[in-house]
Amino acid sequence: MKSMMRVGMVVFCVLAVIGLIAPGPASAADAVKIGVIYPLTGGAAAEGRELRAGAELAAEIINAVYDNISMDMAKSQGIKSLGSAKIELVFKDHEGNPTLGADLAKKLILDDKVVGIMGCYHSAVTKTVSAVCEQYGIPMINDSSTSPDLTKRGFKWFWRTTPHDTTFTKDLFDFLKGLTEGKAKGVKAVPKAQIQNLASACEKTEWGSNVSALIESFAKEYGFTVKKSILYAAKSTDLSSEVGSLKAVKPDAMLFASYASDAILMLKTLKAQKAQPKVLWGQDAGFEAPEFKDTLRDDIVGVLTRTVFLPKVASVKKVAGEVDGFYQKKVGHSLSGASARAFTGVQAWAAVLEKAGSIKPLDIQKAANAIKIPADQLIVPWQGIQFATSGEDIGQNILGSGMIGQYQKDKDGKISLEIAYPFDLATANLIFPFPGY
Amino acid sequence: MGIDVEILLSALVSGLLLGLVLALVALGLTIIFGVMDIVNFAHGEFLMVGMYAGLLTAQGLGIDPLLTLPVAGVVGFLLGVVCYFGFIKFLLRGPMVAQLLGTFGLMLFLRYLALLIFGSEDRALHHGLLVGKSFDIGMGVIVSATKLAAAGLSVAAFVAVWLLMNRTRIGMALTATALNRSAARYMGISTERMNALAWGIGGASVTIAGALIVNFWSVNPFIGLLFTMIAFAIVALGGFGSVPGAFFASLVVGLIMEIPGFWDFFMFTFNADWMGKVPMTSFKYMWVYVAYFVIMVVRPRGLFGWKH
Repeated sequence: MKSMMRVGMVVFCVLAVIGLIAPGPASAADAVKIGVIYPLTGGAAAEGRELRAGAELAAEIINAVYDNISMDMAKSQGIKSLGSAKIELVFKDHEGNPTLGADLAKKLILDDKVVGIMGCYHSAVTKTVSAVCEQYGIPMINDSSTSPDLTKRGFKWFWRTTPHDTTFTKDLFDFLKGLTEGKAKGVKAVPKAQIQNLASACEKTEWGSNVSALIESFAKEYGFTVKKSILYAAKSTDLSSEVGSLKAVKPDAMLFASYASDAILMLKTLKAQKAQPKVLWGQDAGFEAPEFKDTLRDDIVGVLTRTVFLPKVASVKKVAGEVDGFYQKKVGHSLSGASARAFTGVQAWAAVLEKAGSIKPLDIQKAANAIKIPADQLIVPWQGIQFATSGEDIGQNILGSGMIGQYQKDKDGKISLEIAYPFDLATANLIFPFPGY
Repeated sequence: MGIDVEILLSALVSGLLLGLVLALVALGLTIIFGVMDIVNFAHGEFLMVGMYAGLLTAQGLGIDPLLTLPVAGVVGFLLGVVCYFGFIKFLLRGPMVAQLLGTFGLMLFLRYLALLIFGSEDRALHHGLLVGKSFDIGMGVIVSATKLAAAGLSVAAFVAVWLLMNRTRIGMALTATALNRSAARYMGISTERMNALAWGIGGASVTIAGALIVNFWSVNPFIGLLFTMIAFAIVALGGFGSVPGAFFASLVVGLIMEIPGFWDFFMFTFNADWMGKVPMTSFKYMWVYVAYFVIMVVRPRGLFGWKH
């Protein structure tokens, strides 16, 4: 009994010592709390990790001085107008579940007393979370959800930095059109009849079903034919009948909107069934997740994906290169579309708070509506960040733009994304047609 | 040959292959029910355990996933026997509803235990002798190597179980227990041992199926439910407790799941563009449950059922 007590005392002492040496939350009192809701577990956990790492890096740069990064927010500690208050990100995991997301938002607002919210990647979750924010009058900046409908609701407390799927899908069709006009680097004009027939398979939540509808409407506008459009569950374990159905119409281009695990399954199934499209394009998300590249390797050479950030941007944009180098040192790989957008989201938060000079919701709202972040401050290749305050797309960043990348293999056998669109930024000859399996 | 015939053949082949894979999943469920009259709701979770066993053994030891089948079999047998002696045995004393809720609880327990240990992420095998391989057997029909192997093993497993049940003493003892528990006991057959054996064989067959399935499907802790539902539909269709019934019903269910493929065939045959607009793939599981419902109404004991 005595020895038990002794053990207990020792454990107690060790814990006490750990408690004493471990640094407490640094001046937590004056930190500005932002609630960040991401899919940290579940099917999109890989993207969740990316998003979190991107957001954390931005907070780190905001909270300390980094001379080697040519960004305003790296030049000072914390938010100057708030007495150099630091930004504290409070992460929550929504698991891809809209209901859970809304609950977490309430918890963040009521229990954690956050000043604002960021997230949520899945458009379906962003939809419910932004509704909670609207109800409580708490500002939310959305960094990474691309369903166009999100900014079509006339919300007063919702701003979105990333371009949305209307922009991205239009990019795709401009790309296809450019292909027929001989604008793609290293490819002669392709007769339109050769890429006339399209087929799409999109995951069936808010995001994917919207992409599917956009593909239909842009195809009509640009004179292409959608032979088949399929919606499938991102949690599917088997996509063979979906792929069979796509293949049946012998499409020239196969278009996808998929999250990570389903994107991998889709490509594996396409390979197993020896699909032969000439163009294989994915709407970012899963097609850009690091594990997509790591698991499929050579099988994705020639696959196109829309994106907002490619490591190649770093060679064109100085500040992107600096931040990317920092990120690589921390995480071990380059920034992706997800991490770059999360980074930019936190950056937008810092800029808004800097301008507001207060943490009152109304001041933040005013600042967000008036803010303009110039292009040279951003790591993403946009013209800047400025939110629409009127019109159909309220809260949408009107200066954003998208890109299309293509997976290619370099001389060392390394697979990376090359810029394929905009054509004038292309970093390599386009691989066309898709080599097939 | 027209593209429509290609689609028809592809759908037929892939439906039959899928059916054979599902047959392997349903086999364990029908054995356990046949011998003990217990509906094992945790069946899909056993499959999940098999999938994790196969995946982790292959990744941990760096061996080909096909070589992990015996490991998964042993894990499944032990899991079945342990579940029986540690849990199911006690349920047998209670009423039917206690047994139902009991295996339901076992399902939740296994599922959340897996969540605790493995996390909710999807995991998949990306390398292996058969992983991702497929070949063209002509006429536009492409067969995936893993599914073909799974189908072959499924046929072998069915033959083996059939032989075991009908040609060996122990199998006859199992059948005797299934038919009349008390009479079998008077003849000196230990009901306890037979029940445990049924759980062991049932568990092993489904975990082996899992280790094979993980070659082409990814696994997460929640995967069990989908397979439990499909296995139930198969067993109900074939007749609870009937081994040949489960086999044929699986083929039927496999073909039912290929309805989108047949739909495409008709679309081309009749050149009906509107048919392409119908989201058939979204409903591929629905037809399975429609069939389940119809068979329940029309012929509750299933196509080959012999128990009431």
